[in-house]
Amino acid sequence: MTKPEEFDPEVVATLDAIDATLAGEAVDPRHAEIAELALLLADERPRVDAAFATVLDEGVQRRFERPSRAARRRFAWSVWAPSAAVAASLIVAVVIVASQSGGGSSTNSTESGSAGVAAAAASAPNEHHHGAAQKLVPAAQGTLDKTFSLPSRTSTTGSSSASTAAVPRAPAVPQGLNTPALTPFNGPSTAGRKVVQGARLSLSTTSKRVDQVAQEVFNVIAQQKGIVKSSQVTANGGPGGNAEFQLSVPNGNLAATMAALSDLQYAHVASRTDSSQDVTNQFRVDQRRLADDRALRTALLKQLASAVTQAEIDSLNARIHDAAAAISSDENALHAINRSVGYSQIYVEINAGFVPVAVHKGGGGFTVGKAAHDAGHVLTVAAGVALIGLAGLLPLALVLALVWWIYATLRRRSRLQALDQI
Amino acid sequence: MDRAWRRSTDVIESLPATGSAASSNWERFEALYRSSRDDLYAYVATLLRDPSAAEDITAQAFERAYRRRRTFDRRRGEERAWLFGIARNAALDELRRRKRTAQLATDPEDVAASDPGDQGAEVALRRTAVRAALAGLPAREREIVALKFHAGMSNAEIARVLGVSESNAGTLLHRTMQKLRKACDDQA
Repeated sequence: MTKPEEFDPEVVATLDAIDATLAGEAVDPRHAEIAELALLLADERPRVDAAFATVLDEGVQRRFERPSRAARRRFAWSVWAPSAAVAASLIVAVVIVASQSGGGSSTNSTESGSAGVAAAAASAPNEHHHGAAQKLVPAAQGTLDKTFSLPSRTSTTGSSSASTAAVPRAPAVPQGLNTPALTPFNGPSTAGRKVVQGARLSLSTTSKRVDQVAQEVFNVIAQQKGIVKSSQVTANGGPGGNAEFQLSVPNGNLAATMAALSDLQYAHVASRTDSSQDVTNQFRVDQRRLADDRALRTALLKQLASAVTQAEIDSLNARIHDAAAAISSDENALHAINRSVGYSQIYVEINAGFVPVAVHKGGGGFTVGKAAHDAGHVLTVAAGVALIGLAGLLPLALVLALVWWIYATLRRRSRLQALDQI
Repeated sequence: MDRAWRRSTDVIESLPATGSAASSNWERFEALYRSSRDDLYAYVATLLRDPSAAEDITAQAFERAYRRRRTFDRRRGEERAWLFGIARNAALDELRRRKRTAQLATDPEDVAASDPGDQGAEVALRRTAVRAALAGLPAREREIVALKFHAGMSNAEIARVLGVSESNAGTLLHRTMQKLRKACDDQA
């Protein structure tokens, strides 16, 4: 026995005498009384009943098995373990899919967040303009391979618009990336009609990429033989920053331009609105008015040729002057319509506040690199889900641990109280 | 005298230290059962003072120990102390549930009368006095006696079962023995 140093020597001697007595060894005569008491206490040891011993031995030999109960337990495990595994897998899959398809709401929040940043950046000191006047961009390159097809619209007269706040994306493309596969947008049938087309595109990027994305916009317009009517780029080097562009591109290049603008490397499409307005009627009205004014002027000129009095000549000259002005106005209106029809107006805004990941551009084929990238993304999402799950479970585990600790403490105390009540 | 504690210790020391998987576990449990059955029953019977309940609790303790044998951690003590801890909890739960005071395992008068044998009257008187003194002990002290003299445990094992330090166990034992001596002397 280990004897603590603080023990009284007499206590140690007594304990040693008890141990020696129980071991059948001789003890000091001065401890004879305690030795006798130890022997008497040992003799009071309750004996196991033979029948109970037999029953207990048999139970142990059976290993306490109760066949039906054991079978039930095995059955329960065999059923519940796979079911639990399948359920857990389904939950994980649902969470992953939900996180993949949740790009729309994420995009919206990014957009609204960047709007505030843009407002703040508007008053930033480091603000430079890329020219408020119209800027003609030389057409240096051909059109892009990718086509931007406008969504089918039923209206052929009046105006229509197609807005895409959260641009659908291909499932395999990670959230936050640019998506080449935009909603197909087939333009209106313009055969024989005058249609003015326009678009509004809102892009998100990081504050560090605002300049870079703005330059990409310029490059796209150059490629599409378009015009930058106005631009404003604000970048203060810190958080925030924005850019705005008023663009004009040949009507035939609108689809390709929108596709290219939606596919910029470091920008994310927050929203897109396509619009069109059929101005055929207005064009025809203006044409008729022009014809009428020309006919009026011709008639007035004929009357002037046959005029005799000076007053009559002066009156006809004044009317001819008015008719010429009306003709000029009509011609300008027609020219304006033709310009609008020939060139589509695009408004592009870029807001900082989004953290994109570089897009792996390329064809749609399956490659080991793409597969590895997708696998990495899936693992990342799975790790994120696991982390979120753990974060959610941690407080629950702490609460359960606390409850268990309280329960164990109360149970221990209750047991000791029961011992005192004997 | 039945040297229960010596026999138990010898068997425990003969337990296979290592083994392969289930068979080794079972052999260890079987050895633990063989070495502890009588001691465990004696301890529980002294604690509960009810032979019938003691049998139930003993069987229950062995079954629980068998079910939980994989949770046994040798670093936290020997198997024997672990087993007695399980039995102690089961016995206290039984007491808590029943909330009744059990009868003595044996009636002192009955035993004295049934086994007069060749013992002298003086020895019989002393035995009767010890029984009476034991019966008059509080449960906590009677438990110490049960673990020491009926289960044959060392002071270190008693400490592990009760969840106290070894020095505390020794002090409790010494105090209990002094109280018993005094009670016996008073009766004499």
